[in-house]
Amino acid sequence: MSDPLVELDNVVKRFGEFTAVQPMNLEIHKGEFLALMGSSGCGKTTTLRMLAGLEKPSEGEVRLAGRVMNDVSASDRDTPMVWQTLALFPFLNVRENVEFGLKMRGMAASERRAKALDWLDRLGIGEFAERDVALLSGGQRQRVALARALVTEPEILLLDEPLSALDAHLVIRMQGVLTKLQRELGITFVYVTHSQSEAFAMADRVVIMSNGVVEQVGAPRDIYRAPANRFVAEFVGRNNILTGKIKSSSQKEIKVETSAGNFTVPKGKGTTATTGDQLSFVIAADLVSLTGSKPKTENAVACEVISEEFVGSVVTLYLEAPDGTEFKAQVQQRDLDKVNAEAGKTLWVNWATKHAHVLPEARA
Amino acid sequence: MADKKHESTKPVKRSIDIYALTWRMPIIIWQFLFFVGPLIFMIAMSFFLVENYRMVEAFEMKNWVKMLGRNYFWDSYFYTLGLASAATVLATVLAFPASYALAFKMSETARRWAVFFLIIPFFTSYLVRTFSWYVILAESGVINAILSYVNLGPYTMLNTKFGTMVGYMTLTLPLVIILQTLSLSQIDRNLIGAAHNLGCGRIRTVFTVIVPLAKVGLIIGAVFCFILSFGDFVSPYYLGGSKPPTLPIMIIDTTKSGQQWPRAAVVAVMMMVTLFSVAFAAIALAYRKRSQ
Repeated sequence: MSDPLVELDNVVKRFGEFTAVQPMNLEIHKGEFLALMGSSGCGKTTTLRMLAGLEKPSEGEVRLAGRVMNDVSASDRDTPMVWQTLALFPFLNVRENVEFGLKMRGMAASERRAKALDWLDRLGIGEFAERDVALLSGGQRQRVALARALVTEPEILLLDEPLSALDAHLVIRMQGVLTKLQRELGITFVYVTHSQSEAFAMADRVVIMSNGVVEQVGAPRDIYRAPANRFVAEFVGRNNILTGKIKSSSQKEIKVETSAGNFTVPKGKGTTATTGDQLSFVIAADLVSLTGSKPKTENAVACEVISEEFVGSVVTLYLEAPDGTEFKAQVQQRDLDKVNAEAGKTLWVNWATKHAHVLPEARA
Repeated sequence: MADKKHESTKPVKRSIDIYALTWRMPIIIWQFLFFVGPLIFMIAMSFFLVENYRMVEAFEMKNWVKMLGRNYFWDSYFYTLGLASAATVLATVLAFPASYALAFKMSETARRWAVFFLIIPFFTSYLVRTFSWYVILAESGVINAILSYVNLGPYTMLNTKFGTMVGYMTLTLPLVIILQTLSLSQIDRNLIGAAHNLGCGRIRTVFTVIVPLAKVGLIIGAVFCFILSFGDFVSPYYLGGSKPPTLPIMIIDTTKSGQQWPRAAVVAVMMMVTLFSVAFAAIALAYRKRSQ
């Protein structure tokens, strides 16, 4: 890949005693859609604000296109941001809001007006150009904020939870608008969110943070299928995590004894498996099968159905093994028709050995 | 507009809400007894006559013709208007940096203490505070004593417009700072961040973003300063030397000379009209809707 557009080099951010971002290293490439994901207070927004120059790193270097940006003020950077609160200026109308950045760059009135109107048209809100921002709907205001940030044609766009204030159906629509826009413009998007569905739906790469530490960086699929550690596996949420003792191991497989039963997991190359050691592994919820009778596979547990949750055609079933271990299974609605999945019924939860992913040992 | 149309289609219940009225009554009665009543009486009095040092009820234009026909009234009117306007500009400009620092550069706790200290001056009589300036501004006072060490002065500061202005600031500055600080601290910090983010430097942000956002508070502060200065008797009399007289001084003088209460009422009504006009114009400016 080409030289990274953004580099974070051992960046640390402290607020008094509190360390918001632990030494962080990250490269963001040109044209990439990168999501910074984590729960509130994990340091994702602070990281974004450091890119914008709104916070100064306590240690380390932030580089933009090779240039060290630590001492460059926010107003001298071309890193526009879409704010969680949108932060549209209430004393300016829609067009004037969009023109703001161009005006600050000293562009002539007629030229910036034309550009602003062009961007408003492009985002489908050209007819509202002379309206007061307060009179627009949430989705329309969202587009104004986007137009205002993009009008200066930056190389990078920073987005701080821009969809968190929208209704669920609008979120899906705006996700489409954003990904399309990003592909068309070919610019870098750095997108902060606490929502897994937003991050996984849009981003090329996702950075998972917790307590100021980067837990994993990777494509959504990799993070989902092969979480780097227990935190990520739990955070991603649609995983079944099992922990047990190693009973025996062969060249390719390890047999594990857990409270829910005995299972076989694949043994990675170069890994050691000492009998008696503790081992955790995950099975993504969508790789779990459900059968009414005991299947032939080695990895199967009879569970009681607790509840189900519909999201479109996909159903998430919550089940419980006799020892209390909870299982989640994501299946297509039509596959569920074959089995009786009423609450209280017993179903066999099973999976292929290759689908189990062994977690690296937990950090101290 | 659309809302109103919608409402008119609903049947409107036109019964008097006794409960709400009960709670509103005290303020309505108070306003009539102590504001509307005296105001009507003052307007009426401006048409009365004075015969043998005694007021006689009448409805004559004499007082109005006499007062408004005289240059000295208009000289005093525009002099007072000018002083109060100057005080308004001065107080707004002097207060802004202080309010800005209080709102943006200080912690919440420090800001609360600062507002508390700004309220303390109101604990003491304004007259007492005005007289304390005597010691400081007199030709043998503190400032001239200090300046004499560097071979400057003595300067005459009492009985000048400067003295009047010092008095006006004593009266209005704490209040203007409090009002400005409250409105500046309401500003959404994200908007300031957004301005920086879009290439607006720090100083420019103050004028292009912060001032428009705090507009209402800044205007309300200025209006209070104007109202207080325009009607103030103490500063122009004791620190400004009463010459030329401002309108409040003229009212006192008129009532003292030959019991001319009706003529004083004319001056007072003119002041009320001016204050109402300025206040309404300012509020209209503050809450003006942007043209669509």
